[in-house]
Amino acid sequence: MFHWLEKHPFFFAVGVFVAIAFAGLIEIVPNFAQASRPVIGTAPYSTLELAGRHVYIKNSCNACHSQLIRPFKSETDRYGHYSLSGEYAYDRPFLWGSKRTGPDLMRVGNYRTTDWHENHMKNPPSVVPGSIMPAYTWMFKNTADINTAYAEQLTVAQFFAVPYNKEVPMKDGSTKIVKMGESVADANALALEEAKVIAADMKDQDVKDAVANGQIPEIVALIAYMNSLK
Amino acid sequence: MNKLYLGGAIFTILMLAFTYISVGGSEGGLNGDIVNMLAVAGAVALVIITVFVVIKYVRQMQTDTADGELADESWDNIGEYKNPVPMGWAIMFLGTMVWGMWYFLVGYPVNAYSQIGEYNEDTAAHNEKFSTQYESITGDRLVEMGESVFLAECKVCHGLSADGIDGKAANLKVRLEAKTVKHVVENGSNNHLLGSEMPMPDRNGLFNNNTGALITDAEIDAVSQFVANGMSGAGAEVFAGACASCHGEDGKGMEYVAPNVAAFTPALVVNVLNHGKKGAIGAMPAFDRLNAKQKEAVGAYITSLSK
Repeated sequence: MFHWLEKHPFFFAVGVFVAIAFAGLIEIVPNFAQASRPVIGTAPYSTLELAGRHVYIKNSCNACHSQLIRPFKSETDRYGHYSLSGEYAYDRPFLWGSKRTGPDLMRVGNYRTTDWHENHMKNPPSVVPGSIMPAYTWMFKNTADINTAYAEQLTVAQFFAVPYNKEVPMKDGSTKIVKMGESVADANALALEEAKVIAADMKDQDVKDAVANGQIPEIVALIAYMNSLK
Repeated sequence: MNKLYLGGAIFTILMLAFTYISVGGSEGGLNGDIVNMLAVAGAVALVIITVFVVIKYVRQMQTDTADGELADESWDNIGEYKNPVPMGWAIMFLGTMVWGMWYFLVGYPVNAYSQIGEYNEDTAAHNEKFSTQYESITGDRLVEMGESVFLAECKVCHGLSADGIDGKAANLKVRLEAKTVKHVVENGSNNHLLGSEMPMPDRNGLFNNNTGALITDAEIDAVSQFVANGMSGAGAEVFAGACASCHGEDGKGMEYVAPNVAAFTPALVVNVLNHGKKGAIGAMPAFDRLNAKQKEAVGAYITSLSK
């Protein structure tokens, strides 16, 4: 066997490749699969949150805000527990970002509230003196695209087995079910239910009126997304 | 043989001469600088050793003859002698195996670098330093710590001077504002304050003992102004009738029953930091990432603001 291999350098090279590739496979793949599995407490995005995520991407928030807390004491003091890869399991694409003109937003839902975001998006320097972030007033007028968010939900549920309408384990031992509508109309109704909860904590009368009339301004979706980042 | 040694000696002298010419005359060359002298000494030793080692092997190639027992295996007609394993090599080989086992079983698993490991060490070191340095601080130093924590964590909503930035958040320079009192009286409150499980009822559960009837709008306005004014002015009799039974005659609260509405206390602030709050202005999240001492310090700082 070894004599034969020594006389056939091509097959010898193939054998070496197979041996090393196999070693790599059993070393890397199981760890990778384990690490990319959603951690307990990570739930899929609801329709409204996903629409907010689209608003986030559309306005390039990720150009100035990262969503990745590195394991340094100084960062975990400011932003909370360092990020785990499984926490991005339902992020398509992930929004790690590479630049922090503004602060990290990985767990912003833990320490900012709906009304804070409302004040802040309308006029950032009013709550953060010296802030260079621009105001995003159009988000209070534009309507969020729920249909696209629902399309994404359908797609990821079908192709990546994202557990919508299924029990997802939470940190406190309970389970949570993230609902996905059965039809476009159903999805819009679900998103509106969520939007009403957010709008109840807001002060802008136009936003409240719009939600009462069955429309969802982008700001409501964005705040739902911000609040879901924990 | 003499030719070989002669050639070696000439080569050595040439190399040394070349080294001296290129280094000796230059600025900062051999001018008594100990580091340069050492480097030159090293170069001289290297040249001499190299030349004579080469001479040794050249001589060996000229005189050596092959003998000994050949191994059975032949590799393209290149044979191998069955010589004993050289002792030095054997020791190195076995030593490497022992080291390999140690590294595989102990060295790597125990000593390997990991980012999270370093983070944990950093955090443990910080916590230990924190507890030895700050665990027992009180008074002004506690207030100072509270201020620095406030500037890092709280100023975003409450403002640099803690005035709440024009109503965006609670003004912490006064214990309660009239609109806050009014909101609580009308809607009740249950912020899990100070271990009390019994919530404060809303206006449909608040009787004015003086009149024996539910509290009225005018009375709510009066008592709101009274509390916001630091427990003075009109509305004292409404407070005495409707509020004092839980919050005390002087508004300083009762343990396990009702919080102090006359002044901030550190315990009150710590409680809000632990549980968050929802009131007239909006919601405040809990601040679990502060440690107990930091929360106490923020309490001390906020208490000091309204004194």
